Amino acid sequence: MAETITQGVPALRIEGLRMVYHPGLFQRRKLALHGLDLEVPKGSIYGFLGQNGAGKTTTLKTLVGLQMPTAGRAWIFGTDIRESASRAKVGFMPENPYFYEYLTARETLDFYGRLAGMPRAERRRRGEYLLERFGLGHAKDGSMRDFSKGMRQRLGLAQAILNQPPLVLLDEPMSGLDPLGRRDIRNEILALRDAGCTVFFSSHILSDVADICDRVCILHEGRKVAEGRLPKLLGQRVLEVQMSASGVPKEGLHEAAKLARRAWHDGELYHLLLESEDLALKAKEAIERGGGTLRRLVPHHESLEEYFIRVTREGDVARLAGAEEGSAAPEAASAPGPRGGLGA
Amino acid sequence: MNVWAIAVNTFREAVRDKILYVLAVFGLILIFVSRAVGWISYGGELKIMTDLGLAAIWLFVALISIFIGTQMIYKEIDKRTLYTILSRPIRRWEFLLGKYCGLLLTSLVILAALSAVFLAYLKLMGAPVTGAILQALFLIFCEMMLVTALAIFFSSASTPVLSAVFTFMIFGVGQLTKWIVDLGNLIQDQAPGMKLALKLFYFLMPNLDNFNVRAQAVHAAARGSGWAIPPEQMLSIVVYGGAYTAAVLLAAALVFRRRNF
Ligand SMILES: Nc1ncnc2c1ncn2[C@@H]1O[C@H](COP(=O)(O)OP(=O)(O)OP(=O)(O)O)[C@@H](O)[C@H]1O
Ligand SMILES: [Mg+2]
Repeated sequence: MAETITQGVPALRIEGLRMVYHPGLFQRRKLALHGLDLEVPKGSIYGFLGQNGAGKTTTLKTLVGLQMPTAGRAWIFGTDIRESASRAKVGFMPENPYFYEYLTARETLDFYGRLAGMPRAERRRRGEYLLERFGLGHAKDGSMRDFSKGMRQRLGLAQAILNQPPLVLLDEPMSGLDPLGRRDIRNEILALRDAGCTVFFSSHILSDVADICDRVCILHEGRKVAEGRLPKLLGQRVLEVQMSASGVPKEGLHEAAKLARRAWHDGELYHLLLESEDLALKAKEAIERGGGTLRRLVPHHESLEEYFIRVTREGDVARLAGAEEGSAAPEAASAPGPRGGLGA
Repeated sequence: MNVWAIAVNTFREAVRDKILYVLAVFGLILIFVSRAVGWISYGGELKIMTDLGLAAIWLFVALISIFIGTQMIYKEIDKRTLYTILSRPIRRWEFLLGKYCGLLLTSLVILAALSAVFLAYLKLMGAPVTGAILQALFLIFCEMMLVTALAIFFSSASTPVLSAVFTFMIFGVGQLTKWIVDLGNLIQDQAPGMKLALKLFYFLMPNLDNFNVRAQAVHAAARGSGWAIPPEQMLSIVVYGGAYTAAVLLAAALVFRRRNF
């Protein structure tokens, strides 16, 4: 299928995707997605983050046609998701995948291979290969009833990449896995990218995301609150700067130390911890004026976790402000936690 | 291709379910019990045995179709097994039609197996086995075609319990449609509105008693020759069943198409 991909078209494009759930006649409507815009460039590993109930699963299910969006459109390699042909280019692994209990692992992959239109020989070859690769070789003829969660997760990934689709959508692929299993899946995602595949996955495990993703999108209550290349997002804010200098006379050091949050020395080397880049520049000047030599200057950036918490909080504040101005959508987003006195 | 893959898989599910075999043994027992009932009544015991055996097969296959059919789609949604299917380049109607065909295939195999046992048993007992009996069995299958479609329709829209209740209701009322006509004739002129409502009801309900030619088949077999009903009538019943089934499946596909999972 790789040859049908036209150059320049993003792997995935989402425009104004909106999803309102109507659970029942007397239950309140739930606005799960507020017009999401997103573009996933070809060949990237894209992390899709957000708290529980942020709308990640809703987005993924909509993209593969399991749900009809209330409004908005999306394209997979330029093909509208409303056409079933768009799904020929996607592999999807649902959250906590579940399979027919009456089939063995081998039969399961064969069945999916049929649905993907793979010829018999290729189904067999690819199925065997993936089962071995994902460490399910010993269980390929066992009943799915006896599969552990981790085994189902692996089979979930195997069925998603069975026919080597150029785009893979994974809903929490690492959830519930042991450290080894998580590492396997992480390596698999990297291998997929190296093979030219685009991977878009949701996750709560931020350390994994920080390790392997090129880009992330953070969703908060159905709205996008941050999006971009990971180094750029995290490089925007310097939390503190650590500075080391030598040969500093007492007076110069004293002046610089006043600017620092913490100052200490070991032997010849003096260390300063400063709260901002501005303060760091001033301290550097003071040291150099005093005749010292700067040995090291390390800005500490936000970790993905700190960044995630910050933008999620900011999202809350922005939404509350919007609600006071009366410009909020008539249906308030459904918060998993306390509603914060939001009118709707 | 997709429809076939899903149908085969659905059939496989039924075949690997042990409950089916327990039920099948039950069906066999029913057939043999019909013999015991035949003994109790005097005269024409072979006729009664044939009649009861056919009825047992009919009821048994209907029960299986309704029970499996009303659970089938719900189970896929509940266990989320359809996530990894519908996320592939397969249309929703293909999935639904595949499930339908798989169940129909299951019913057909069960019907064929029970019929084979039943016919062998009849022969052994010295009862006449003619084309008329085969005709009755074939029309049972046609009825199942329709009943399975109804089960799938309700199952694609609501819960198994509700679906089973609705399907059984229609299945029951469908057996009595001739009575509805008679009722309409009784109240002829006094209440034209009522008469119209009954007519409409008659028109909408599947005329399942059309498919019941069991009594005629037993008579024809006893006479030793001939059809239960003339072939033209048979053809019109089959066409009616096919059209009704297609309409119900179409409605099911329309409902299913709009669902969010
Ligand atoms: N079928 C449904 N009917 C009604 N509301 C729903 C339905 N599915 C999801 N929601 C609501 O939509 C919102 C988004 O849910 P979604 O499952 O997309 O979140 P998520 O980001 O995947 O969360 P998690 O991290 O817990 O998996 C939630 O508030 C949820 O309650
Ligand atoms: Mg989710």
